[in-house]
Amino acid sequence: MRRSLELGAYRPGNSPVHRAPLGLKAAGVVLGSLAMLAAAHPSATGAGALLTVLAYAGAGLLRELLLPLRLMWPVLLILGGFQLWQAGVWTAVAVTGNILVSVLAARLLVLTVPVPRLLDGVVGLVRPLRIFGADPERFGLALAVMLRSVPYLLGSAADVRNSAKARGLERSPRALAVPVVIRAVAYAQQTGEALAARGIGEPDRD
Amino acid sequence: MSTAPEPAATSLPVPSPETSASSLPSSRETGGGSSGAAPRAASRRRWGAADLSYIAVFAALIAAFSLVPGIPLAAGVPITLQTLAVTLAGMVLGPARGAAAVGLYLAAGLAGLPVFSGFTSGVGVLARPSAGYLLSFPLAALVVGLLVRVLLGRIRRVRFAVLFAAGLGTSFLVVHPLGIAGLMLNAKLSFPAALTADMAFWPGDVLKNLAAAAVAVSVFAAFPRLAPRMKPRRTRAHRS
Repeated sequence: MRRSLELGAYRPGNSPVHRAPLGLKAAGVVLGSLAMLAAAHPSATGAGALLTVLAYAGAGLLRELLLPLRLMWPVLLILGGFQLWQAGVWTAVAVTGNILVSVLAARLLVLTVPVPRLLDGVVGLVRPLRIFGADPERFGLALAVMLRSVPYLLGSAADVRNSAKARGLERSPRALAVPVVIRAVAYAQQTGEALAARGIGEPDRD
Repeated sequence: MSTAPEPAATSLPVPSPETSASSLPSSRETGGGSSGAAPRAASRRRWGAADLSYIAVFAALIAAFSLVPGIPLAAGVPITLQTLAVTLAGMVLGPARGAAAVGLYLAAGLAGLPVFSGFTSGVGVLARPSAGYLLSFPLAALVVGLLVRVLLGRIRRVRFAVLFAAGLGTSFLVVHPLGIAGLMLNAKLSFPAALTADMAFWPGDVLKNLAAAAVAVSVFAAFPRLAPRMKPRRTRAHRS
């Protein structure tokens, strides 16, 4: 669990898709998906699907096409069946296909770029927002603290779940949540004090 | 590594997240809102290290509650604790920091950190039928935080009921309408069909808001400084 969080879904490789600049890939995924969704036509879905499969083949990750399908098939099946009944076969194909292709295309980004580079990219995206008062460095710091806290909280949630199970309370959201949240608040206070003691993350006092 | 020629900011390279905790210089000029989704209301007061830490840890809490397996209910349908954590962020941290925490969680997930349910991540979630619910979360934290601040500032006796009402009210004012909009947009459902699909979440929603209210009461009991205080008069507010 912890390992997969830090590494994300990244599959190391040296293909042209891996080496392409992050900005280019991200723009391609976002603009391509938007164009396909705007067209809302089975032929656009087909073109998108073809491009996506080619990109996966280029990255040598064709096997990875299966995982989102395994996660999403119940929703897609229900939705496709409903649209088939309500609006006909082409709408059903376009609606479910658009969702699946967009998810697959976006996942290629996560598969071929390591998480730290992705997060750097987001911090970079915040940079132009500085004129509105956003602060990319403190945003980056918050991301780092968050990243560091997730494994602790996951471990804490697992502990609490085990002890709740021992008391027969594994179905009570309250018994599962209260200790985790209290520990999280205490952890946040300690982290805040540790940051303040090192003079990190404080705004200028002028 | 270019920093825009902004007079107030010293030009420093943007640290990569994994090194920033150790290499960050101390002082930064800031207008208050740190994440893109941070609301304007915060710009009055600057966030210090303690606020930043609360925001980051609650973003992590939402991530953790999205990743742990759901609780099996009597009907066999598991409910996830994700929305519970979102509501709690607003209740415990208040509207501005709560919304910032949820915004940070969303930003991290959209960027590719596997923090959405089922360890998914990336902008692909925006194409899913459930995208509306996800995008409603920062607004939900903001609204529930505001409601709790306003109501608890006046009513002291029935904290649990007030918190529950604020949570449930936010669900039906913010989360469900935006969720339905997402279903209509992404899954191309008609309004009645989307409403029917949305109604499947109602029972779990009531349960989660009951739990959120109970957890918030416990947190306020354990950390009284986090609890919204009664306002004697509104003149006491420390504005600059």
